[in-house]
Amino acid sequence: MKLEICSFSGFKIYPGHGSLFVRGDSRIFHFISSKSESLFHQAKNPRKISWTVVYRSLHRKGISEEVSKKRTRRTVKYNRAIIGVSWEAIQNRRNEKPEVRAAARKSAVEKAKALKKSGVKKTSA
Amino acid sequence: MIQMKSRLSVIDNSGALIVECIKVLRNAKWASVGDEIVVSVKNARPIADGSAISANRIKKGDVRRALIVRTKKEIRRPDGRFVRFDDNACVLINSQKQPIGSRILSLVSRELREKNWIKVVSLAPKVV
Repeated sequence: MKLEICSFSGFKIYPGHGSLFVRGDSRIFHFISSKSESLFHQAKNPRKISWTVVYRSLHRKGISEEVSKKRTRRTVKYNRAIIGVSWEAIQNRRNEKPEVRAAARKSAVEKAKALKKSGVKKTSA
Repeated sequence: MIQMKSRLSVIDNSGALIVECIKVLRNAKWASVGDEIVVSVKNARPIADGSAISANRIKKGDVRRALIVRTKKEIRRPDGRFVRFDDNACVLINSQKQPIGSRILSLVSRELREKNWIKVVSLAPKVV
């Protein structure tokens, strides 16, 4: 089944509908109805007639809904507990004050150093 | 809708340019695409003097037969759509129903094929 497109309105023409006009320069025009055929012969511009497909696409009619639906997907960030550590524990760590954190780090480093020294002594002895 | 006194343009190279229908060879008031009519030549291409073939060239006032190939009145196709052309046009034919001209210069209607005017269809540059 071959569908034609109306030369004036841009509508689809199903078989058995419409009419065909062959101009003197052997160009062929398809029309869906006598209305679009009449307007064509009156030399009207389909861009200026509000119900044609050309006009509607030019003036962005009936496209706005489709555009709003076509929004891109954004990645959503959310927090959850990891195995072994509850979410509250992570949150507490994060909210510690920098001084407290630095102190904790220092003590940890000293502890590790002491361990290392004692370890070295043990191996040397 | 070609009837007596209708004027048609001739789209072959027979030499005639404009003809007038003087008889519809069909038991009807008017003729359509694929019908034969009798025409009188109203306007013909000027004949070059001294040429040997000038004897059988078409002159103004000649009475010939013609075949209608395009009409302004719309024709209904079997699929329901209508086809309409910008002008009324014909080609001249002889008594054996063969075209007089050797070439056809513009498009013809597809109805001719259904009415078995094979020679005319094969000469035409485009069939619509």
